[in-house]
Amino acid sequence: MTISQGLDLRAHDVKVRAPGGRTILSVDHLKVPAGTAIGVRGPSGAGKSTLLYAIAGLAGDVSGRIAWGDTDMVALTHGARAAFRRSKMGFVFQDFLLFEELSALGNAALAASYVHDSGARQAICERARQHLEDLGLGDNRRKVDSFSGGERQRVAIARALANDPPVLLADEPTASLDRPTADRLVDDLVALTRSGGKTLVAVSHDPALHERMDRVIDIIDGNLAAGTPVHA
Amino acid sequence: MPDRLEDAWNNLPVLAQDIAVLAGLVAPLVVIGLIIVRRLNPTPLAGAMLWRYRFSNALFVTLIAISVGIGVGLISQERALRTGTANAADKFDLIIAAPGSEMTMMLAAVYLQPSDVPLLDGQTYSEIANHENVDLAAPIAFGDSYRGAPVVGTTADFIDHLTGGLEEGEIFTAHTHAVSGALAPAQIGDTFEPAHGHGAAAEQGAHAGVTYEVVGRMPPTGSPWDRAILVPVEAVWDVHGLAIGHAPERADQIGPPFDAEYFPGTPAVLVRAEALWANYSLRSEFTRGDTMAFFPGAVLAQLHSVMGDVRQVMSIMAIVTQILVAASVLTGLVILMRLFARRLALLRALGAPDRYVFAVVWSYAGALIGAGALLGLVLGYGAARVISRIITQRTDILVQASVGWPEIHLVAGFVAITMLLALAPAFMVLSRNIITDLRA
Repeated sequence: MTISQGLDLRAHDVKVRAPGGRTILSVDHLKVPAGTAIGVRGPSGAGKSTLLYAIAGLAGDVSGRIAWGDTDMVALTHGARAAFRRSKMGFVFQDFLLFEELSALGNAALAASYVHDSGARQAICERARQHLEDLGLGDNRRKVDSFSGGERQRVAIARALANDPPVLLADEPTASLDRPTADRLVDDLVALTRSGGKTLVAVSHDPALHERMDRVIDIIDGNLAAGTPVHA
Repeated sequence: MPDRLEDAWNNLPVLAQDIAVLAGLVAPLVVIGLIIVRRLNPTPLAGAMLWRYRFSNALFVTLIAISVGIGVGLISQERALRTGTANAADKFDLIIAAPGSEMTMMLAAVYLQPSDVPLLDGQTYSEIANHENVDLAAPIAFGDSYRGAPVVGTTADFIDHLTGGLEEGEIFTAHTHAVSGALAPAQIGDTFEPAHGHGAAAEQGAHAGVTYEVVGRMPPTGSPWDRAILVPVEAVWDVHGLAIGHAPERADQIGPPFDAEYFPGTPAVLVRAEALWANYSLRSEFTRGDTMAFFPGAVLAQLHSVMGDVRQVMSIMAIVTQILVAASVLTGLVILMRLFARRLALLRALGAPDRYVFAVVWSYAGALIGAGALLGLVLGYGAARVISRIITQRTDILVQASVGWPEIHLVAGFVAITMLLALAPAFMVLSRNIITDLRA
């Protein structure tokens, strides 16, 4: 199985505006080298998730430059951004966002449903199965609605990695979990991203997660906090 | 060019036309469906959505099924009724009676609905019976009944013409013999005394001392004649104290030829000619001052034509109802899409192509609409069958509902329109804000 190495992120003069035109996030300069694990912290409503959505190409009104490798997300069309996310990014959300009626494998291999190439489809299913096994969920045909929170989040991690993306974006991945489960999840998340040389950006309030990151950046009132190093 | 197309269309066999109409209704859906789902697999997620809100979905399917069922039942029932009444009149090629209402005479002679009608005299009957083009001229004399079943006087030839032969027993050979219809309340070997008149007005005992014995039984004909009891026409005249159609020296004769001088009159004469043209010639010849000749089939067609206008109005009402239901389904789908908004936003966040998200929503809607339409077809057919059975029991006209091309076209049209409408909620999903839905 080939493993895609991480992409570096370069952001310049980024401004994200709310529908009313108000600037809700402003980033003058940010560089994240490929294969780095970055934590993003800050008070609630400071703009952490907005940063995550902006670098994922999901935010609507964005100006400046957000480049993953040579690809500037701001300059891409809606369809091209979706295609980029599809091939280059994996996502983990706070409350898992799984399809409750599907099995663990059905959720983890979700991307196989919309990939055209049969070879790629097979590879996604194979990787999803492997990651589930690595995460202790192999040979599990139950629907995920009977899973615990920790199990669900591990299914979400398997889903995020099934397409072997160079970039992994996580939004409060431990917020819905108890401490021991959260610790185990962070172990799994970090181990899988590091072994794959992937770039990880994780928004979180969780100090335990921050400790495991290569670097943590602070967002306060929609800006990178003063003193936050812009280079890793 | 349009004329050529029209000619080509008209030259197609009816089956080919029906198939072409169906293909025309379904083809756009197939093309759109192929474009949308090509090389994608929306089935697992569409299935997950169906299961997630299975009770709401079941309610939707039921709503669609009832709506489609009403339309299907209405059309199927109407056609069954039309076919049943036409089949019941099938054996009555030409009827000659005294001038009056063709409709009243048709109801009386074909459907055995009691009514007072004037009589044709013996001279006229002889003229008809002896006409070179006439193969069968059977007097039909009604007026008596037994336990609600009409007792009709006629000839053995008429019974043979109506049924093609008895199912069991023998044809009547004496004034006291009777042949019962398949559903008549008298079995072979039974004897009975006829009442004068019909229904509540029937006078029991008016023909005291007169008894008939059932000697034969007719096979089912699918017409009100199945409930009738047929006796020699001479017996009906005899019971009413009239001349019996034959000179005194031939008083025991049953059936034609009749003597005009001793022929007391008959309300109607069923006429049959071998050649089709002869029927038209006879109708023309006996449409005159003292006689009325008509084809029951033509009168029925006029009736159906009048009813056809009502049918059109009802069909339009059925279609309007279905359009309203389709609009309701559309509204319901939009509401359901809000329930699924977060999961669909997730798909889009993960990078699923818009076409895939569209395919999931449209497949989901298609499953609801398709299941509802199919169930509606079954429901409509079932309802029409039940109603047909009730009508058959009440009128003795064999009404058999079936699923035909009009119903299939109606359902296909409903599915086509609703599926096209279902494109709207699928588009609306794509216009939603991903982040707002993810945070919901």
